[in-house]
This record gives sequence, C-alpha cells and structure tokens, in this order.
Amino acid sequence: MSIDLLVQALLNGFGLAMVYVLVALGLTLIFSILEIINFAHGEFYMLGGYVTYYVYALFGLNYFATLGLAIVTVGLAGVVAERLIFHDLRGKALNAFIVSLGLLWVMQAGAQLAFGVLDKPVPSAFSGIVRMLGLVISLERLVVTVCAIVLIVGLYLFLRLSRPGRAMRAVAQDADVAALQGVNIEAVSALGFGVGCALAGGAGGLLAPLFAVSPAMGALPVVKAFIIIIVGGMGSLPGAVLGGLLLGGVEGLGTLFMGSAAVNILGFLMVIVVLLVRPRGLVGGA
Amino acid sequence: MRIRGGTAAVVIMALAAAVGTATPGATQDKTLTIGVLGPLSGGAASYGVELVRGAEMKVEEINKAGGLKVGNDVYRIKLVSYDHKALAADAATAANKLVFQDKVKYIIGNAVGATCNAVQTVTEPEKVLFSFVCWGTNNLGPDKPHSFRAMLSQWEVAEPFYRWVKDKHPQIKRVAAISPNDTSGKDTNTAVVKALKGLGFEVAADEYYERGTKDFYPILTKILATKPDMLDVAAAPPGEAGLILKQARELGFKGPKGWTAGVNPVTVIGIAGKEAAEGVWSPANINVKSDFVSATVRRFGEEYERRYKEVPGVIAVANYAAFDVFTKAMQDARSLDTDKVLAALTQKPFDTVWGKLVLGGKETYGIDRQFLYPVVISEIRDGKVVDIAQVLPTALKK
Amino acid sequence: MAPSSSKAASPPPAARRGAGAPAAGVALVALAAATLPLVTRDSYYLDVATTILMNLTLTMSFRLQVSTGQINMAHISFMGIGAYASALLVTRVGLSFWATLWIGALVAAALAVPIGSVALRVSGPYYFLITFAFSEVVRLVFNNFLEGWFGGPSGLVGIPKPDRLLGLAFEGKLELYGLMAVLCVGVALAFVRLEYSRFGLTASAIRQADLLAETLGVDVFRYKLTTFVLGSFVAGLAGVFFAHFRQVLHSSDFGLEPMVLLVVFTVIGGTGSVWGPVVGTVLMTIAGELLRELHHYEILVFGAVLILTMLWAPEGLVALPATVRRLLRMRRSKDARAMGVGLAP
Repeated sequence: MSIDLLVQALLNGFGLAMVYVLVALGLTLIFSILEIINFAHGEFYMLGGYVTYYVYALFGLNYFATLGLAIVTVGLAGVVAERLIFHDLRGKALNAFIVSLGLLWVMQAGAQLAFGVLDKPVPSAFSGIVRMLGLVISLERLVVTVCAIVLIVGLYLFLRLSRPGRAMRAVAQDADVAALQGVNIEAVSALGFGVGCALAGGAGGLLAPLFAVSPAMGALPVVKAFIIIIVGGMGSLPGAVLGGLLLGGVEGLGTLFMGSAAVNILGFLMVIVVLLVRPRGLVGGA
Repeated sequence: MRIRGGTAAVVIMALAAAVGTATPGATQDKTLTIGVLGPLSGGAASYGVELVRGAEMKVEEINKAGGLKVGNDVYRIKLVSYDHKALAADAATAANKLVFQDKVKYIIGNAVGATCNAVQTVTEPEKVLFSFVCWGTNNLGPDKPHSFRAMLSQWEVAEPFYRWVKDKHPQIKRVAAISPNDTSGKDTNTAVVKALKGLGFEVAADEYYERGTKDFYPILTKILATKPDMLDVAAAPPGEAGLILKQARELGFKGPKGWTAGVNPVTVIGIAGKEAAEGVWSPANINVKSDFVSATVRRFGEEYERRYKEVPGVIAVANYAAFDVFTKAMQDARSLDTDKVLAALTQKPFDTVWGKLVLGGKETYGIDRQFLYPVVISEIRDGKVVDIAQVLPTALKK
Repeated sequence: MAPSSSKAASPPPAARRGAGAPAAGVALVALAAATLPLVTRDSYYLDVATTILMNLTLTMSFRLQVSTGQINMAHISFMGIGAYASALLVTRVGLSFWATLWIGALVAAALAVPIGSVALRVSGPYYFLITFAFSEVVRLVFNNFLEGWFGGPSGLVGIPKPDRLLGLAFEGKLELYGLMAVLCVGVALAFVRLEYSRFGLTASAIRQADLLAETLGVDVFRYKLTTFVLGSFVAGLAGVFFAHFRQVLHSSDFGLEPMVLLVVFTVIGGTGSVWGPVVGTVLMTIAGELLRELHHYEILVFGAVLILTMLWAPEGLVALPATVRRLLRMRRSKDARAMGVGLAP
C-alpha cells in the first residue's frame, strides 16, 4: 500500500466533506434554535438539487446565479414549513420527530410524482482534472469545496456579526432569557429554520452536477449530517467542520481496507464512542 | 380513561370488519384482475414504477382492442398494484391482500429480492402464478413451481457476455466488478466472478457499495489500484452506474467498461457524460431507440415516453413482455386456470418484443421457469446505444 | 411513595384509580381479539389483525421504555435478535418453536443488558442517537456479516411454522392469529399491571423529573435498565413469532423504517397512557392498509395524515377526548382564561 494511495484515499474522504458539513450545520442550527431534530432535512437538500436541475440544466441560467436561487428558494420553503408546521413544536422533540417524518414522506413522494422517478443528470459547471504530486483532484470537486467553505464562513460571520445572527445565538443559548431581552422568538425561529434549510438547499445545488438528482437523494446526506454533528458537537460550527473532516477521513481510508458495510459500521461506532466518552462532542460546549 | 382505549380498540376492530366484509359491486363484463407489486416509493422506486408502467401499457393495449379473448369469453383486464416499499414484511401483507381480497390468480411484476421470498410464502401455497424480475438465485426452484423470472438475470447473461469479450477482445485479462450491497448485487457479482473464473480471466476486484452512495472516489481508488483491464459496473442501477463510470474516468480509468446487469442505458449516458459512457458494453438492456429493434418496440418506446415523460428502461419492457406472454398463454390454454396456463407457458416459444422467447433454466435452477430470449450485446458509441452482437440461449438454438 | 397531589404537576391519572379496572380494559381487548375470527375468516384480514397484535406487543413494550424517558431506537433490533435466534435454533439445532419462543426472548434480553447499560450512560437526545447508532450496527451485521448464519443480503428463507403443541397444529392463519392474540393479551396484562403498580408510578416519576426522583431515593439507572431489558424481552418474543409467521427474515425487517413506524404508532396513540399504543397501532395500521388503494399516493397521504394528526392531537389520539373537553371548557369560561387558566391539566 503506497503512500500515494493513502494520501489519495484521505483526499477522497475530505473531498466533499465540506458540503456534508453544510448539511450538518443546517441541521444543528435548527436543533439549537428550536430544540427539535428535523428528519425531513434531507428533503430540503433534495429540493435544492431539483431547483438546480430545472433552472441550470433545463433553463440554462448561470450556475452561480442558480445556486443563489436554490439557496433562497429552499430557505423560503423552510420558513413556510416552520410557520405552518413546526412553530408550535418548540422543545417537543417526539412530536417534531413524527411531524418531520410525515413531511419527509410528503416531500419525497411529492417529488417523485412531480419530477419523475428516474435520476436526472445535471451538467458539470466545471470539468477538468488537476494532477499534482501524483494525486488526482477533480476541478469540479475543488470548486464545490471552495463554495462550501465560502458559505460556511458566511454563516459564521452572519451569526457573529449581524443582528439577526446574534439574536439566533441568543435564542440558541437560552430562549427564555432572550425573550426577556426583547428578542422576537417567533421571528428568530422562522429565520433560523429558513437558514438551516437554505444551507441544505445550497448543498443540494452544489452536489447536483456531481451526483445527478433523484427524489430519494436526501437520505444519505442526512445520516452523514447526524454523524457529523454528534461527533463534532451539537450546536458547534467548528465542531461540525471537525466532525466532517473526521468522518470523511475515516470513510476515505476505511474503504481502502474494508468493505462498505464495515465502513458504515465504523461511522456508527465512532458515534457510539463519542457519545460515551464526550457526549457533548469533540468541540461542543454550549 | 383507561377503559376508553380498550373500548376504542373494540369499536375500531368491529368497524374494520364491517367495512371489509362489504362486497364490491357485481361486474357486468367479465373482469380479469392481475396484481403488480413493487417498491413504488423510496430509493428503489424506479423499479416498481417501471413495472407498473410496463403493465399498464400492455393492459391498455389489450383492453382497447376489445379485451382479452380466452376461449369463448372476453375479459377486461384490471390492474391492481401495491407499494411494498422494499420491505419484506410489507410485501407479504400486500401479497395477502392481492390473493385473498382482490382474489388475483396472477401477480405479474415484482422487484427487490427479499420481497420476492416473502411474496412466495403466500403465492406458492395458493398456486398463484408469480412473475418477477428479482435476481436472487433462490427465487426460482423446483419447490416453487409457480414462480417465474421474466427478465434475463446475471446467471443467463454473464457467461455469454464474457465469452464474447474473451473472443473479441483477447487483450482483456483482469476484470473488476462492483455492485450494490444487496441481494441482486451479491448474486450478480457471484455470477460474474464465476463466469470470469470459468473462462480464465483474473478477478482484479469484487467490490460492493451501499445502495444510495454517490461518491465513488474512495472505492474506485481501491479498485483502480488493482490495475484492472476492464471495469464492470455489474448490478449498479442506472444512476449509480453512470456516476461510477464518470468518476472512474475522472480518476484516470480509460479502459473498456461493461454493465452486466444494465437496465437503462439512456440514463447512464446522461449521467456519465458522453466521454465516460463511450464504449460501455451491456448484454442485458434493450434500447427502444436503437436502429436494430423492431417497429413494435420503437412504437412502445414512443408511446411510453409520451405518456410518462421518461424513457423506458429494461424493467418496463420486461413487464410489458411478461404481460404479453402470460395473456398469450391464457389464450393458448383457452382458460384462466393456472394449471392449464402453466402448462401452456412451457409448451412452445412465444413471439415478444425481445424476439423469440422460451422458458428454460433447468440447468441453473432445477426447473424451467426463467424467460429466455436472445442476449443482445450493445455498445455505447457517441452517446447512442448500438447493438453489436446477439447470443442465443441454447434453448432457442434448436 | 406516590408523588403528592399538591404539586403543580398533578400525578398521572393512574395514581387516582384502583387496581381492578385496568384488568377490565385488557379483558375488553381480549374480547375484541376473540370476536374477530367470528366475524371474518378472510386470510387477509387475519393477516392484518395478526400484524396489529404483533405490533401491539412491540409498541406497548416501547411505550414502557418511553414512560421512563427513553426513546429507544434499537427496540426493533431486539425483535431481530429474537427472530434470528429462534430461526437458527429451529432450523439448525432442531429445537421446538415452543422452546425457542422463550430462548429467543431471553437471548434478546441477555444482549439488552450490556447494550442498555452502555446506552443509559447518556440521556435525552443523546440516548436517542446512541440507540439509533446501535440499531444500525445490528442491522448491518444481519445484512453483511456471518452470512453462513444470517443469510447475508438475501436473508433467511424456509423457516418453518410453529410445530404442534399438545396435538394442536399451527399451520393455518387462524391458529397463528390465536397464538399471537394469547401472547399479546398476556403482555398487555403484564404491562397494565406494571403501569398501575408501584413500579409504574416510579417509572412515571422518573420520566417527569429524574433528578428529583433520584433525590427521593429512586435508583434511576436500575429502573431504566429494567424497563430496557424487559422491553427487549418482549420485543424478542414478538421477533420469534415474526420469524415463524412470515417464514422469511431479512435485515430490512429490523431497520429504520419499521422502527420509525413503531414510534409513529406509539406517539400518535399517545405516550401518556398504556392504551395509547393500542389506539395508535390499530388505527394507523388500518389507515395504512386502506391507503394501499391509493397505490402511488400511499406514502404521500400517509405523511400528510401524520402531520395533521400530530398537529391536531399533540398529546396523542388517546388524549383527544380530554383535550377537546378542555378546549370547550376554555371556550365557555372566558373569565377563567382571563385569570390565567391554560391548557395544563
């Protein structure tokens, strides 16, 4: 087993980790602000993919403009979902679980009926391979990773510096205290849910050209997102980034040495170990 | 408060019984009800949906032409389809509903290996004829005389395919196979490896991935490190097969590629891109737009696309053909009785969209219940599927 | 030491009743189960009814764990352990179903001890996630490892039906239905008695405030582990029945999809009462079967039904009459509302 192979494997694992981190961040944002786990999160990712398919692949709009459109559209869809369905469920985890499950089925079945059941290809916005030091890096994946990092940094700045962002952090820390300080909890919840879904939609738009779109495409990213936020720590942005890199690395290297089922088990074992040793996650604190 | 739950339960059970025992209105014409099962939702939905669509097309054709004439009676065919969500227990319940409530004697169409086993626990004791496209080896056997596979599986196709490869492309020595980690994937890789070893090839890699995976860089890195001459995406469904081919090319693989259990070449070309799809050989799919297929098939493809706005894959064609074969057998038997139809099915070859079709497979399964038709090997050239060779199964060579 | 009724949160309704009435409720269910075969012998209805009864044992045991605050996503895994254990013991070792019924359940319970002990090191959403991780590991093991035992991705086939007991054969749907009915009623009786016993009250106290319960001298960990193991034993029992009823086993039968349905049945029924799972399982299974007629639209409508039911009956269907009455009371007494009476019981 050459060093080249190991490094390539590691690179493979990291390659798309940042996009899964985006999905994870959306999930953890919703969890921090509304104290519920949105099982339909993957369906918003799927929605972003289909917006990209229709607007970029079929209609022909510029890729980055489409990405922006996907982010905004899915974000709005998230706000609508929150206002219609989730806003009364703050803190009621079990009820939210059932409701988000219902939403998952509605969205997935709806997508199948509306968009058809076959995989739909989305042309690559960037093609080409970069070869250096004996490693293969696809240009497309490089661009996608950079875009994901831009969005993650954008989120970080938004949460740190903007008023709505700081309001979201206040609510995430302690909703009652935030309310006493005059924060409009309802507005923050809606915005938080919207931003969380927007992140998932953006991830869907980023991965659409790489992976094509299909109604059930949201299932796998959401499982990865869960593993990432548990390992990194719920509610922690740097934790999610670390969790993403860790999961990517483990999967990339693991595939070299064992079968796919064993690699999957490895991911879940990582979850179990982290939950036992440091339940708050490697970085999680708040 | 605590009794209310119990009372509610009683009331509900009584209501359910009352609702259920109400009989449907009596029919004026004679109706033949045929069942279709499949995953109509979730990740495997494309299989189930194609099964239903293929069935719908044939049934509509027959009904529009005045119905199915069997002996002296004319029947209007009614299709009943249920979604089993790729879960074995669900499939068993759905099969029970078809057999005992809808009173079907024919279930034509099912996919996903584990569900086939579950359905058979219902259909075999009741002597209901059950036709499916599941690829599990243990789905056919002398202990299951009422079960049929309506589509060529890897057991019929792998050997002729690789024999052709060895013959026409002797420079290929090492082959790598990759399939999803489930019944059909496992069986396909097993068949491919058996064929490869039997013909003297070297098996460079025999790998599996979890269904739903989209990023194949990690597993391709592992496979390409074994330096295969040829890459076979075996039982990968169209979306994933396209991605594997595309990503293999990105990682630098430029050798010949195969798709032993391919089902929808058009999707693959779309997803892999012309370059990566160039030269892919496939022995199992049918291309409704190919220059080599008959006018009937071309018409089927056009009508299907008009109705459903998507191109038909092999599974849709397979179920269309299955309905064709079964209804023709009913007409030959001049009866809807399953014993008589069973006998008629094994009598002689049928003319179908695949060409001449006959039941066979005794050497592999111990009983002749596998639909056999010419294996057409196609190659993707410049974004189009071109048929380049035809291999007849031994049963058809007479 | 029942929680005092002068506290802000009133004690569960259980505390105010005696011990005889719940048994009557079980008798009613038993009666309903017994009358079904008199109304219909249709194979499909018996199949659905048997599935309902089997799911009832699963949801009642799941609900027991929920009553101590545990959302155990690995519940279905113990059903699988019981199922595979019995299937293997019967087909490979030649044991009788009537022995493996208990052995399978015991194997599940035995494995529940270490798994539960580990899982209970965390609580709340972390417990939910760790049990989910465990269930995926178990499912992957069933699907891919020890293929000689578990059958790999193709699963196990050819599992025989239960053998004769005292001359009575269990080949037909009716006999199997009867068997499951007996098992279910037995389990229901046990759970109902448990709910209204000291054990049940303590469990409820733990669910409402486990720190407080601990200061009152309750060994919270022991109670939670006991319900975990007990619930797993019952799940194993259901699993053994499942194996010999369906005669085919596959890892997908013990994965996320069936587990999620158990959660749906329990929560929609209502986790506050031992009857919640009964109402939820019966109603949602029947709804699911009726929705089959919608073919393509089945899942879409089922999802919508879930959303609407949860929004309109947030405490579960079993609590619906009470919720409605409270709402009516609120409407009628505007003054009371002005004084601050809310929706709390």
